[in-house]
Amino acid sequence: MAEVHVIGQIMGATGFSESSLLCKWGVHTGPGFVSPWAAWKLLSGVREGQTQVDTPQIGDMAYWSHPIDLHFATKGLQGWPRLHLQVWSQDSFGRCQLAGYGFCHVPSSPGTHQLDCPTWRPLGSWREQLARAFVGGGPQLLHGDAIYSGADRYRLHTTSGGTVHLELSLLLRHFDRYGVEC
Amino acid sequence: MSKLCWTCLSRLFLKYYDYIFPEYDDLYCKYCFVYGQDWAPTAGLEEGISQITSKSQDARRALVWNFPIDVTFKSTNPYGWPQIVLSVYGPDVFGNDVVRGYGAVHVPLSPGRHKKTIPMFVPESTSKLQKFTSWFMGRRPEYTDPKVVAQGEGREVTRVRSQGFVTLLFNVVTKDMRKLGYDTGPPDTQGVSGPSPPQGLPR
Repeated sequence: MAEVHVIGQIMGATGFSESSLLCKWGVHTGPGFVSPWAAWKLLSGVREGQTQVDTPQIGDMAYWSHPIDLHFATKGLQGWPRLHLQVWSQDSFGRCQLAGYGFCHVPSSPGTHQLDCPTWRPLGSWREQLARAFVGGGPQLLHGDAIYSGADRYRLHTTSGGTVHLELSLLLRHFDRYGVEC
Repeated sequence: MSKLCWTCLSRLFLKYYDYIFPEYDDLYCKYCFVYGQDWAPTAGLEEGISQITSKSQDARRALVWNFPIDVTFKSTNPYGWPQIVLSVYGPDVFGNDVVRGYGAVHVPLSPGRHKKTIPMFVPESTSKLQKFTSWFMGRRPEYTDPKVVAQGEGREVTRVRSQGFVTLLFNVVTKDMRKLGYDTGPPDTQGVSGPSPPQGLPR
């Protein structure tokens, strides 16, 4: 079986209007349904997590430096891992408000990659937008899989949020044995 | 370790760090390495403390340690790739030694020369009263074990403030990675990566 190591960091985020930000991240592999023939298997590492809440003092980039260390074994290329992110902002009372959803595919070529993942959030009706501006809150996705799958996206009306910056290094093993070029 | 059929080593020399902390001066840095259970250091010091440095008098206002690091690791598995954890400390207005920032970064995977600038952050007090008390008493919130900065679990409840950058220069040498079937990609000898400091601060 071929192996993939993803080692890197969620470095931080820029371009969000709110300042105290945190990021919930997760890795999704394989098809959207649970399958006994799933090609990807996570051998070591945690599949999801949540970063600290950072309030930047210099500049506008919130820094998380959250380490990611994943070890996958795979029998196929279908369902290459996708990293999905939810950026939330926290106010001084400890309440969290959604700032953006985003996803990016884990790079497929070995080496170190700088990734910039743009984010979006659901817009809602004008009433909800007004409420969000004054009181906070706002629409959120009920099921997180709309972040990384294209299935029901046509129903959504969204606006853009900031950008999440990641640095991921890929280590591939035995891909050449199976004739895969990357 | 001798029973295992392969090892992979990386040796790195951290040539210098200089860093940018706009508000603070007279800082020193402690470093340590955090790695998974399949890893073991074979040579060099895993932990150390630098000298205390002050800002230069010229326009750069640079803080330079130029601290050498020379470490070799061996492993049976890339999982748990070593990370270097830095903790920077300095005096506050009353003369107490307080933490000025924690930061961590993975040792680069591909052999070659890599320059990384990592952000440093401090834990924040939970309330304004605690913030004042900790400022007054000189006991700021800090981590009991700085190695927690290199882990992902348990961080969701922490609130931090990012306030500075440290630059590290890595020279990485690996052994037997290709022989064992690992492809680390093109060696990037130019390797300047990491967030760039905000405008006006030297790279």
